[in-house]
This record gives sequence, structure tokens and C-alpha cells, in this order.
Amino acid sequence: MKFLTLILLLFAGLFIQAQNTEKKKDSIIALSEVKLISVVKKKIETDMKMAVSVDEFLASSENISFIKRGAYAWEPLLNNMSSERSTITIDGMHVFGACTDKMDPITSYVESNNLSAIDIKSGQEGNMHGATVAGSIDLKRKSTPFGLSKQWNGAYQTGFEFNNKQFFNLANTSYSSDKFVVDGSLAFRNAENYSDGNNDDVEHSQFTKFNASLGLAYKTSELSSVKLEAIYDQANDVGYPALPMDLWLSRALITSATYKQVFEKGLFRALDTKIYFNAIEHYMDDTTRPENLVHMDMPGWSTTYGLLSKANIKKNRFSSEIQLNAYNNLSTAEMRMYPQDRSERSMFAYSWPGVTTTFAGLSINNSWEMSEKSQLNFGGSLGVNYNHSKYVEFNWIFHPGTPQDKTRLLPSLHAGYQLDINKFNFSVGGGYGHRAPSVSEGYGYYIYNSFDRYDYIGNPDLDNEISYEGNASAGYKDDKFSIQASVNYFYIENYIIGRILSLGSPMNYQSIGVKGYTSLDYSTLFNFSLNGSYSILDNLHWKGVLTYARGKDENENNLPFIRPLSYQTALHYQHHNLSFQTSINGDLEQIHYSPEYGEDQTPSYTIWNLSADYTFRIKDYKTVIQVGAENVLNAYYSTYADWGNIPRMGRNIFTSLKFNF
Amino acid sequence: MKKSIFLVAAILVAVTSCTLDKTDYESEISTVVTEHFEYLEVVSFTKNDYQISIQALNGTFYKGYNDFRLKIINTQTNESLNTSEITFLPISTNYNGNNSSGPHRYNLNYNSTEDYYSGYAVFTNESTDSENWKLYLSFTDNDETYTVDENIIVEAQTNMNLNMTSFTGSDGEQYFIALVAPQKPKIAQNELVAGIYTYNPPSNDAGTFPDASQFSYSEVTDYTLLLDPRMPEPSMGNHSSLNNEDLTQQEDGLYYGIVNYTMTGNWTLNFRMQNQFGEILKGTEVSTEFTPGIEGARSELYIDILF
Repeated sequence: MKFLTLILLLFAGLFIQAQNTEKKKDSIIALSEVKLISVVKKKIETDMKMAVSVDEFLASSENISFIKRGAYAWEPLLNNMSSERSTITIDGMHVFGACTDKMDPITSYVESNNLSAIDIKSGQEGNMHGATVAGSIDLKRKSTPFGLSKQWNGAYQTGFEFNNKQFFNLANTSYSSDKFVVDGSLAFRNAENYSDGNNDDVEHSQFTKFNASLGLAYKTSELSSVKLEAIYDQANDVGYPALPMDLWLSRALITSATYKQVFEKGLFRALDTKIYFNAIEHYMDDTTRPENLVHMDMPGWSTTYGLLSKANIKKNRFSSEIQLNAYNNLSTAEMRMYPQDRSERSMFAYSWPGVTTTFAGLSINNSWEMSEKSQLNFGGSLGVNYNHSKYVEFNWIFHPGTPQDKTRLLPSLHAGYQLDINKFNFSVGGGYGHRAPSVSEGYGYYIYNSFDRYDYIGNPDLDNEISYEGNASAGYKDDKFSIQASVNYFYIENYIIGRILSLGSPMNYQSIGVKGYTSLDYSTLFNFSLNGSYSILDNLHWKGVLTYARGKDENENNLPFIRPLSYQTALHYQHHNLSFQTSINGDLEQIHYSPEYGEDQTPSYTIWNLSADYTFRIKDYKTVIQVGAENVLNAYYSTYADWGNIPRMGRNIFTSLKFNF
Repeated sequence: MKKSIFLVAAILVAVTSCTLDKTDYESEISTVVTEHFEYLEVVSFTKNDYQISIQALNGTFYKGYNDFRLKIINTQTNESLNTSEITFLPISTNYNGNNSSGPHRYNLNYNSTEDYYSGYAVFTNESTDSENWKLYLSFTDNDETYTVDENIIVEAQTNMNLNMTSFTGSDGEQYFIALVAPQKPKIAQNELVAGIYTYNPPSNDAGTFPDASQFSYSEVTDYTLLLDPRMPEPSMGNHSSLNNEDLTQQEDGLYYGIVNYTMTGNWTLNFRMQNQFGEILKGTEVSTEFTPGIEGARSELYIDILF
């Protein structure tokens, strides 16, 4: 209740603030993106490579790490926390993977050529799209503004990566007139098995992906527009070398309709309302694994309907974003095991027994420029999360009598202060927030985890995970040199993790026991990053990143999947139309590993990468050609987060060619 | 333009259908199991002015446990008897003339609310060319006793959840365990109901046939049926479930416990039958080891089910 009051106060504060300030008109507002709380946009390419997958692009952010189960569909970890602790959205839309084994993080259903940016927010600052602990990752779709002077724009990119014979074709085009905008993209990737640093084939690491997107926007008046968007994604024959199963087919259809209204004057500057629907189907396949004792089908489906409505408010030095999120998701996953004598009765159960999640929440983020030098950001959200298990009798097996429905209240608060003094900048902030258990954590039923080899059982009665966080940063920046240090610390009550159950026996033959999701009293997580850059010459730049993290449970034992000290250093040299990049990155030895959660110690590794690109013109088309090599020295390694210690890719020479028109 | 046509086509295909249909849970658990709710007439015959009819689930007697309802109507008055003493004795005769029976309620109970006589019979085998079942009934009306016999057909029970077993306990007695419920198990906690009976060997020589004292059975009282359900399929590695409860006797004479089935398929209900003094009369403890690839070893006393 306290938090409810606090949140109400936040709203009240906003309006009082707004009324006290005098009205002032802005100049002309173009109907494109109205961003009042600023978001840094990035091009979807890394320093090393211009044709990257969404995963590779995310990997270039220092607070993202990955659990990798193969060459495809990496699970992003934000602040060293697994994906159920962050909200991952596409333009604010919630999409939930349909695979119980996390083979399909949302990032696997988009492609780099239909995104314009990825907006990563750490901790409770990321509460805009729903309750979170780790933060939010919002994948921003491309959105061409109305009335561009050049009506047709587009790009085509093709390339080949030698290690896994990956061939890709990415094309996108847009049409922009005063009234009408079309955005379209097509992407196709096909890769065979990759080979590791010992030049051995990593079997079952192939993939094929097709992605298409279409957006149609129509300007309904000077200051309003409607937009219809769709993404279709299909992956076939995707291998997961770290898992006992592969993917036969996954398909996603992600659709939305948006109405946007901009106001020239007044308190409200923009209203943006979107309704959306997405459906995902995911079919695992183990017929490619003859060594498996049991043939098993594991299909999963996830369907989400949602609404989000956002208002931007601005008064002088005060700006605010208010967002209403509502969605309804149905996740169902089945398993069917076949006896050795296939004529006999198959064995069936739901691994997600038809679990509905309905969420509605209101979020508000405010930004107050107290002076030229200082800014206060604060906000909060309150959400209601409702779960319903259709076949609750599955849950009763482990948790007799647990209610079929569960409603949770999920509050969140955060505040941060930023100060710029000359070339120095400082920030300090804190946050508090709840999250509800995920479908697997709450309702999962014998979900086999091939990492620690346990079958996992959800617990519908788990308490909300409650996060208290603090963060701070300090930096210095001048024309040639910059350095930025950031730390954050999470104290998470009721930290949800699997613990061995003395009850029951495994269902999957590879399994060694049953774990139930339980709440630890608390756990703590500490993240540190240091970024530096230096312009050695006008055309020679250096960049370096150092990150460190530490995660401990209530008994001071290590949490799993915490990145050891890692580093990256890169040089970039530009000579006319030619540029060279080289980088070295690696992790130190993983000292703080967690045998309890199936981890073993991962040795250190160092990877050296190189690339060169050349920009020229063919007629009017700007063309870039790039050649490079990742893991030049063909090091054999696997990282702390490689599922089952599968080796990473050995030397990979990549080429790519891009036309812009 | 071509692109957008292709896109629209792709999207249409995607929208129209899921690639694979979701499993319909209700029909999934009904694949090999039919649940019967309705009591239908199994047999009907007349004796003098009396019309005797017996109803059982699905209008059929099956091997194993059968609950039945019996009505006797005086065709003269068109009224059903309700004060009669009715005895019920099923006897099976094999090809060399040996007679046997199975656990049954000899003196039927009258159910006044529904106006029928209720009883049960555990048929130990189905009717074949060489095994023939016959019912021997007696009833009274107006101080007169009538006896009647009628051939019946006992069919094989296809629903393994109503299986039965018979055995000799370490006390030398002959026992019968017949499953009564659930007819159609769910992947859930299921109330497991069974009847446990013993044969009462006759103390005197056989009188005139049919002599009920030669075919006497009783419900055992205050035993406990210790339960350990497991999946025998080799790939399931002796998989078991949890939160199961041993079967204990309730007021209606039947034994009630809880069995959790974690998935469909073949299950073995491993039992140990314990008498009121805590002695195990039959059954062995089974291994709790998880042994992938090896068929689960069964207790000496078990019933296999399938759903």
C-alpha cells in the first residue's frame, strides 16, 4: 500500500510541477519519433562487423552477456541475470518464447535489418514496459519518417562466413511520401555446422532462418498517423549442440496497429497507442539424435494479445512519459515420449499446462532538468499480474491444493540523479521493484535442463522476487579521451532458483534428479564496467571495456552464469575510404563458479579479431565491402556461459557487401 | 511490389494455421480408456410373476470389480420389491465341471432412495467356451422364497485401470485385489480405490449345489495396501511419482489411497499388503533407483495399468 501511495504521489508531483510552469510553445514538431526521455540510438552493427546478427549486436553492449546453446538464438543475460528477470520487448510489445528450454529468446524472432536500435535499460529504469528486476531490452523496429526528400531508400547486404558456410542475404527498402510510408525487409540466413578451434565440426550447429517484415503507415492528419506492422519469422532445422534436441521449425507472427497523435501545444505532446497480437509456435525435434534413448516430441505455443498506450508530457524542464501496458499470454507446451516399441501407447504430459498470464500496469518516468548541469530522473510503476493454469492438476502433483489462479501486485520505483561538471559526469541512483515468476518458474512441469541435468518443476506459490538496487557512475570526457566507470548492486529478496527436491524421480532419462523452483532468502549481484576511449591520432582510435561481476546466494555461494572479469580492447584506423579494425577480447579464468548449479570452472581465453572495409560508389550507390576474421588464432575455447561447455567457433573469415540506395 | 505480395502470402499462410495441432487433453487421456457413467441393463429374466433385472456400468459385466443394481418387479402389481432378502451368488464352471466363484456381496443391500438392491461382484475370469458364469439368486416375497439361476456373460476388461489380481498371502489365505477407481485416470492426483477380499475356506462339506458356504468371500478389514507406482517402460528408468498415499479402508469397505500419475502411459502399481498387525502378507519393496534403459522391476504384488 505504501508503494501505491508513493506512485500516486509521483503522478501528483508531475501535475503540480506541470501547472506551476508557464506555457511555452515549441517550434514545429515533425511527426516522426517524439522522444522526450532521450534514448541513445545505435546502428545495428558492431565496430568489428557490419553484418551482424541481433545476438552479435547485443553482445557488443557491456551489460549483456549470453547463454549459448549453439550458434543460434542466444539467451541474453542483462546484468548477469537470466532472461526471465528482464523484460524483452519489440517496440514495447511483449512476446514470449514458446520453448520450455529457452531455445527461442525473443531476440531470435527479429533480424538486424528490421531493427533500428536496441534500447537497453538497467534495473528499475527499465520498468516502462512492465515489471522487471534486471532491466529492459527493447528492440526498436525501423520506422521511416513521412515526407523524406528521397522517396525510395533501401539497402541490400549479402555475405558469406567461411567457418560455418553461413550465407546471408538481407534486404530492406522504404518508401516515404507525405501521406504514406512503407517499410519492408527480407532476410535469409543459412549456415552449416561450425568448427571449433581444433577444426572439429560441432555437430548440430546448423541453422536456417527466414525473416520478413512489413510496415505501412498512413498520415491521417497533420499531426496523427496510423501504422500497421508485421514481422514473420521462420527458422528451420536449427541445431542446438548443447541440448539433446534440435529445432525442426519455429514460426513467429508479430503484428501490431498503432495510432499516434502529436500535439503542438499543451501539456501532452504525444499519444501513442498500439494494439498487438503475436503467435509463436516452436517444434523441437530429436530425430536427428539417434543416440537418444527416448524419442520425444516437445511442441510449444505462445500467443499474446496486448495493448500499450503511451503519453509524453513536457513542460519546460520537466518531461514525463506515462505508459499503460496490458497483455494476455497463453503458453502451452507439451511433451510426448515414445516407448521403444512405437506401437505402444505414447507417454504424454504438458510441460506448460496451458498457463495464462494477464498483466496490466501503469508506468511513469519523469525527467527534471534541475539546472544546466544536473538532472533528476524518477519514476515508478504498478502492475497487476494474474496467472491461471488450465490444467492445474499438473501443478497439484508437486504442490497439492495450490490455487488455479494467482494474482500479484508488482510495484516498482526508481530515482537517479545526474550531474555534469565541466568534463566530468556523475550519476547515482536507486530502485526497488517486484517481478512475478515466469511461466516455467511458476508452472513448469518436468522441464529438463541439460546444463545441470535436472528436471525442473515450477511452484505457483512462489513469492514475488523483490529487488533493491543501487547504481553509480563517474566519467570524464574530453575531445581525445574518455573514461566511464559504472557500478550497480542488486539485493534480490526471494531470488528464484532451482533447488534439488528430495521428492519425485526424473522423467527424462538423461536427468539425474528433480529440482523445484524455490526462493532463496536473498542473493546479491554486483556489476562493474569500465569503458575508455582515446583518439591517438585523428584517424586512429582506441577503445577498451573491462567488466566484472559477482553474484552470491544467501549462503555466500556463487550464483551461476556470472561473467568473470572480461576485457575488450579495440583499435580503429581510418584512411580515406578504407578502415581497419582489430580487437582483442577475452575472459579471465572463472574463479567464482557454481558447482551446485552445474557449473565447472571455465579457463581463461583470449580472442583476436580483425577486419577491414572499403567504401566506394557504384554509380550512385554507396557500397561497402568488408573482409575480416574472428578468432584469427583459431583458439579453442568455451565461455562460462556456454551450455554444456560446447566449444565456440574457431577461426571465422567473414565477408560482406552492402549496397545502399 | 513482388516482395509485398510474397510477404502478404507468407503472412496469410502463417495466420491461417498452426503447423501442428495442440493435443486435446480430454481426448488424449481417453485414447485407451473409456469411462462409463451410465448403469444399463446387463441381464433381465423372469421367475414366476417376478421380473428380475440387473444393471451395471455400460450394461456389461467385466472381469474384475463390478458394481451392480438389481431390481425385482412383481409383474402382477407392477411394484418393485423392497423388503426382500436377496442373495446373490455367481459361479463359474469350467470344462471339467469344477465350480468356483469370486468375491461378491452375498446379501444385497437395499437402497431406499433409488429403490434398488446394490451389490458387487469380482469376476475372476471372463466367459469363454470352457468357462461359463451363472448367477444364483434367491429372494423372498410374501414369506415365500424363490430361487433362480441365469447364465451371464463376463467380458474381458479392456480398461487396465480396472484390473485385478489374486494371490496367496504368507498367511496361506487366498486374496483378491480389484481396482475400482479411477476408471479414467488423469495426469494428476487420482483417488485410487480398490477392493481387497479373501476367500473363506468352507468348514463343512458341500451341501446341495449351490451351497453358498462353499463360495464365501469377505472384505478384509483394517489392512493397508502400501503403494509405489512406477513406470516400467525401460526408457523411463523406473520413474515414479510423489505424494502418493497408501490405501486404507473406509466405511464402505473399499480401500482408498492417492496415486499421482505424472504422464500417460504404462504404470505399475507396486503393492505391499500389510495386515492389521503390520505384517506384510504379500509384496516386496521395489528399487527406487533411477535406471534409464532398464525395465523397472515390479513388486511381487502389483497391478499394471495404462491410460
